[in-house]
Amino acid sequence: MNKQKWIDYALSSGFESFEIYQSESSERTLSWYEGKMDTFVTSKVLGTSLRGVISGKTVNFATEDLSDSLMETVIASMKEQASAITSDDPGMMRKPEPFEPVQNSRTWHQPSAAQIRELLADIEQKILSYDERIFQATSMEWSEQTSGRTIVNSLGVDAEEKHTVQVLACGAAAKEGSEIKNDYCVKVVTDIETFDRDAYIKELCESVLNKLNASSIASGNYPVIIEHEAMTSLFTAFSGIFSGELIGKGISPLKDALDTQIFSGLITVIDDPRNTESVNPAAFDDEGCPTYRKTVVDHGVFRTILHSTASGARMNMESTGNGFKGSYTSAVGVRPMNCFVEPGDKTLDELCADMKEGLVITSLAGLHAGINFITTNFSLQCSGYLVKDGKRDRSVTLITIAGNFLDLMKHVTAVGNDADWSYKTIAVPSIAFESCAIAGE
Amino acid sequence: MLEKKQLEHYLSECMRSEADFAEIYEELEHSETIRALSGKVEDINQVITSGLGIRLYKDVQSVYAYTNDDSEESIMALIRDLRDTLGACEKDVSVHLERVTYENRHPAEIDFESVPMAEKTDLLKRSCDAAFEADPRIIKVQATLLNVKQEVQISNSDGKMISDTRVRTRMMTEAFASENGKMVSGGDRPGAGMGLEFFCTSTPEACGKEATRIALVNLSAKDCPSGKMPVIIDNAFGGVIFHEACGHALEATSVSKNASVFCGKLGQKIAADCVSAVDDGTIPNAWGSQNIDDEGNFQKRRVLIENGVLKSYLIDTLNGRRMGMESTSSSRRQSYQFEPTSRMTNTFILPGNSSFEELFEGVERGLYAKKMGGGSVNPQTGEFNFAVNEGYLIENGKIAYPVRGASLIGNGAEILRNIDRVCSNLERGQGMCGSLSGSIPTDVGQPAIRVTSITVGGTSNE
Repeated sequence: MNKQKWIDYALSSGFESFEIYQSESSERTLSWYEGKMDTFVTSKVLGTSLRGVISGKTVNFATEDLSDSLMETVIASMKEQASAITSDDPGMMRKPEPFEPVQNSRTWHQPSAAQIRELLADIEQKILSYDERIFQATSMEWSEQTSGRTIVNSLGVDAEEKHTVQVLACGAAAKEGSEIKNDYCVKVVTDIETFDRDAYIKELCESVLNKLNASSIASGNYPVIIEHEAMTSLFTAFSGIFSGELIGKGISPLKDALDTQIFSGLITVIDDPRNTESVNPAAFDDEGCPTYRKTVVDHGVFRTILHSTASGARMNMESTGNGFKGSYTSAVGVRPMNCFVEPGDKTLDELCADMKEGLVITSLAGLHAGINFITTNFSLQCSGYLVKDGKRDRSVTLITIAGNFLDLMKHVTAVGNDADWSYKTIAVPSIAFESCAIAGE
Repeated sequence: MLEKKQLEHYLSECMRSEADFAEIYEELEHSETIRALSGKVEDINQVITSGLGIRLYKDVQSVYAYTNDDSEESIMALIRDLRDTLGACEKDVSVHLERVTYENRHPAEIDFESVPMAEKTDLLKRSCDAAFEADPRIIKVQATLLNVKQEVQISNSDGKMISDTRVRTRMMTEAFASENGKMVSGGDRPGAGMGLEFFCTSTPEACGKEATRIALVNLSAKDCPSGKMPVIIDNAFGGVIFHEACGHALEATSVSKNASVFCGKLGQKIAADCVSAVDDGTIPNAWGSQNIDDEGNFQKRRVLIENGVLKSYLIDTLNGRRMGMESTSSSRRQSYQFEPTSRMTNTFILPGNSSFEELFEGVERGLYAKKMGGGSVNPQTGEFNFAVNEGYLIENGKIAYPVRGASLIGNGAEILRNIDRVCSNLERGQGMCGSLSGSIPTDVGQPAIRVTSITVGGTSNE
């Protein structure tokens, strides 16, 4: 693709400004099953997203076909889009702004194919011999991904960033009587040679075995701790409430909540795209706007609405550097990036000891459907274990937890110290709540 | 799309390895998403997806490469990578392709790309207007029109070369209602495997009015009670219960690796006598239909359960090898960026004999789930969940009042046995199903059914 040719043609066709965003990714994934390679996937994909401002409107077109012969057709389609858009939002594109590249501290040691096979074979064998109740090692996979994004626009923005990540994911299934339980464990691995595989296997296998002998509990209101992984998924599902896009449109539950107490005073939320604890730090967003650390919720008070350039303009505010795309095929939206709840100082065991009697939720299911973003009500399948006398008791399954997210986050009793970024861009520690509605027997 | 000679060359190159089968899947997709907020067109996103996936089998092992760089250099680099992983050898296999032709069962009449943008945005305006006009408490309406045209060409080392064009149209309208400082929403998302002629039978106005109706029900809804109780699940998207509780666990992806509650159950009773269910990818212009699956096999109607007895799994070729069974033409994928595997198409429980009123007989206290949301399942344990988007409490055999925020959970193997009445009012609803091979369009469906006992997760503990 001759980028300058496309930009020049767009400008000569009436566009006020024009941007070319490209995302390049490659992947190598090897999965393992019953002592041999199961599947191997390799890929190389380049996606291009075009954005232009014409007649005061912003228009988008994404394509994987980069032939210059398509240029006239694509630009004509984008012009037709502009004539159809009737919203009052002003079309805007960013001028170049200085940013410091993020200095990533991780060094990735790419393993050989033989090392990967040895790792997976060894882990499979050790999972199967860990306990006689474990009958299957499942979904065993090593994956290496590199990705990069570039943004150039006619106003002079020219930014580029690259990332690498290596991930090990394995699952195990255990059986006792007619009861079957499974779980999986995902870890970011910078170096296979120094990776503590025994600790990993123990974590996975103990997690699966702990799920056995589980049953439901009586419906009722229980003091609850939502363990960090489940808490991260719940928080992520509702993280869009901070989006200026929805607040500006008046369809966010936080539309009139800036500078008011929305969570417990124990909760502080930071959005820091440059955070290098995440495997995906970003020095600029997908519009080329420099990113920075900001306090979204300060001791329960909603302090910062996250914005892209367009959502900020709608509310007469500046972009917060949160204009990110879901993928190269989607338009720029507003997303938290490397966002976390500030950890407290207690371990999960200490939170349990303080709770004395109650329930720990270790996993949540159905998050894509069981939440209502407008009311922030949720009702989700979950599992975990009971706490008696401050210690872990029997496992619990086939129950639901239901409530209202904003209401729940107002009734926090303690915040744990155990947040884990893993491969995610949101990290939340375990949080203890006064009471939640649990449905079971 | 690549020429026949190029494909023969690449497939022959693939077979210079320990592979016993090679396949090239090519895709060109044009899609367009238009979004309007309260009648004003906010944004339009047009996307051209164009790439290919190359897959080699060696017995039950598979290697897969995908790219959108169709230069010979790029494709050959990927083929070499695949051959090296599987084991290269100087076997001389010459692939000769024969194009398979057939009659298109799912023709599209009005191509979205030939329709002026103004006509398409007008459809959204009509839906928004209808939602507003239905009630003054509606404060915002968000409407989205999705148009997709996907062309695929599949060639393999058995000599097959076959193409399909899949066209889909969907409207999604969400109405936001407000009263006394409380805001709720309701939505409707009809779609079909056809062009813009879809709106001749399913009007934008109907979609807008339905969204408003649900929003208003939710405005007056009370907290949903919790606990085990009988549940009546209405038709159409209510079929998500079968999709989650049973459908996923019948996919060979899980069954072939002994990771499904229904492993080894063919010919056995797994559901109540009143339950018969099919997965039918041949229904003309249905949302989940296609002429061929993503391995190039003609779509079929598969009887999964007949009078409670398990009759068939959903099988793709690779997992079929592991199971020693033939493919049921059930291989699907979101795009060339996914290796295909066994998936559902249009999956539904067949009509029974009960009247709608008979479902309520004898229910002292229960839940009537009129509109369902999505769900998920763990096929190995059978534990599933799904959300209720519009529900009502039943008291003494009658609908008492609307309830909000409920989900239903259970174990698939148990729930199928607890269906005691099946109505005759079969309808299907449209959804997107996510699994290993990505997000694909599927219809769920059923007549209204009654489940004698299921755990309802609500916020009210009385």
